[in-house]
Order: sequence, then structure tokens, then C-alpha cells
Amino acid sequence: MTQNVDLEADIGDVLLTEEVIAAKVRELGRQISADYAGRSVTLVSVLKGSLPFMADLMREISLPLRIDLMEVSSYGGATTESSGLVRIMKDLSASIAGEDVLLVEDIIDTGLTLNYLLRYLRGKNPASLRICTLLDKPARRLVDIPVDYVGFRIPDQFVVGYGLDFGERYRNLRFVGVLRPEVYGAAD
Amino acid sequence: MSAARGRPSFAHASEAELARILDFYDVRWAYEPDTYPIGWNLEGEVVESFSPDFYLPDLDLYVELTTLRQKLVRKKNRKLRRLRELYPDIRIKLFYARDFRMLMLKFGRMALIDELTGTSGQATPPRPVDPRPQPVAIAEAVAPERPAAGDPPVVPGPMPPRGRRRGRRRHPAPVSAGDGRPTPLEGSGGS
Repeated sequence: MTQNVDLEADIGDVLLTEEVIAAKVRELGRQISADYAGRSVTLVSVLKGSLPFMADLMREISLPLRIDLMEVSSYGGATTESSGLVRIMKDLSASIAGEDVLLVEDIIDTGLTLNYLLRYLRGKNPASLRICTLLDKPARRLVDIPVDYVGFRIPDQFVVGYGLDFGERYRNLRFVGVLRPEVYGAAD
Repeated sequence: MSAARGRPSFAHASEAELARILDFYDVRWAYEPDTYPIGWNLEGEVVESFSPDFYLPDLDLYVELTTLRQKLVRKKNRKLRRLRELYPDIRIKLFYARDFRMLMLKFGRMALIDELTGTSGQATPPRPVDPRPQPVAIAEAVAPERPAAGDPPVVPGPMPPRGRRRGRRRHPAPVSAGDGRPTPLEGSGGS
């Protein structure tokens, strides 16, 4: 499609192909199914970036499960100037008290968002709270948080695709790629 | 100190930006709360010290920002290595200019890069003049990077630290030379 061709032109290198991602998601699904065997689990997807990963991952988990969605504001977004504090833009739709919860993230970078989310979710008294991320980028990690399931540990590059965006674009790419520096330099 | 207690006078705009980011994500911080002696003369006087930019008490982590030119980055790297050798229990992360740019990219703040980094981002507003002698300034006079002949040598340790110390934290004694190994430098490693 023309639009995706335009988007792909902005990609320097393909870091993770669609096939590689799919294989990893299957692997994670099997692992999660084994670890939670005999139980049900609530997958909490952190919008918006984790949406494709969540959709694929949940179908690889052979367990009774619920899904729920959350969204938190990001620094630099519209809410930054108005409040100066991270906000829950969309909260859980149901209680997680007593539930086994698996937080599904697209990428863990500084760990600041995850740190905030974990504190928030622990306050809702889940029976357990684990973390699954497709991508782990530790180069600028400020908050060291043990992550239970990691798809890929990636180098210090700005990546987009498979849910990850730059300026709300590129989320619909089927792969994870490295954005060409001219693209984000040109956006200044 | 976190925002609720009033803003300190940051030496650089990038530090102010990092403070805003930490505030946004509800991470407590203190600005330059501690000074670590890292060099002494033969009389045991502190001639060089290091004050990390931020301390995050909930994470027990120091964060040092450097967005300036390469020469100053090398100097800071040296001081950081020394800090790690003397105080191996300290957790500190160094953010280079590239790290800061990538953070701004992540948060969609690339338009602010020029005003937040490099010399253009320094001391806005200007910091009050501190009449007290600064350890770094003393180190520059007494023990420059390449000491001139006849200058007193900088003793790398393990002289007892008796220099100026700020903040409330008490620090363990520096590790004697030969004990342990320098801890690998954290952070992205720069461009």
C-alpha cells in the first residue's frame, strides 16, 4: 500500500522482522501458559504501543484470561504543561484485586512509566503482578525493575513499528525498525 | 529537592529538564546533595571532589548529566571512574549528550534540544556566586590534568577525606588502593 511504502522509506534498518516477532510471541505465549497453568490471568495492555503485541500474545496463551487496557500520559504530551504530573488517561475497567495480572508493555526504556504503573497497580491488590515486554532497551534505564518476560533486548536505537511510534506514526508497520535519523531530525 | 519544596538553581537547562521529567513520573530527587572527595594532596586535604547532579533516594541512584563538549566529557569520565574506584557501593548513571538527545526524542521534545544542551543551555538563570573556594577550582590549580614540574602531586588515596562535604548523607570510607576493581561505567557510553 502506498502509505506503508512511504512509512517504510523512513526506516533505516529492520531490527526485527515480522516472522521473528511472531516466533518470539509464540514462545512467550507458551512460556506464560506454562507458568500460569491451572490459573486464569488478566493481561493489562499499556496503550497505545503494546496493542499489536497484546493482540498477538493473547492468542498464543492457552489459558482462561481477561484483558484490560490502560493508558497513561507521557511526558512531553498535551498533559505535561497543564499538570506536570503523569496521569492515568484510561484506567482499568474492572477490579484486579485477587487476580493474577500480567502487565504487557511494548518497550521498557527508562523504566519511569513502568515504575509508576507498578506502584499504581500494586495499590489495587492483585494476587500477583508480573511484567511482559516485547522490547527491553536498557541503555538509559533509570529504574531497575525485574521483568519476567522479555521478547528482545535491543540496542540503543530509536525503533518504531509493531505498535511503537514516532509522532503517532509507524505503529502499523509489521516489523520493528530503526527510524532514519533524518526523519526525527527533520521533525524539529 | 523535588518540585514541592521549590526549585534549586540548576547549572544547566538539561538538568532542569531532567528534574521536570522526574517530577512528572513522581520520582523524588535531590540536586547535588552530596560531594565525594576523590583526590587529596600529601597533607590529606581534598583537592578534587565530585558532586553528582541528582540523587534519586527511592532508587538509591545518582544521575550525572553531561551535554557539553568532548573535552569536558573526558574529564568527567575520569572523575567518575575515580568515584567508582573509591566508592564502589555508589550507584551512578551517566547521561551523555546523546542520551539526553534520545530522551528528548522519546518525549517528543526535540525542538528544545538546542536550548537544553551544550553551552547554550548553561546556567539559566545564572547561579549565585559562591565565595567559598570550589574543590574543582583548587584541583585545577594544584593538580591539573598534567601537573607541571614541582607542583605537589595529587595522591589518589587512601588519604582520609577531610574536605568540604554537603548534604545529610554519610559516606563510607574510600576503598584503599588495591582493594577491589573499578566498577564498569554505567550509561550508554556516549555517541
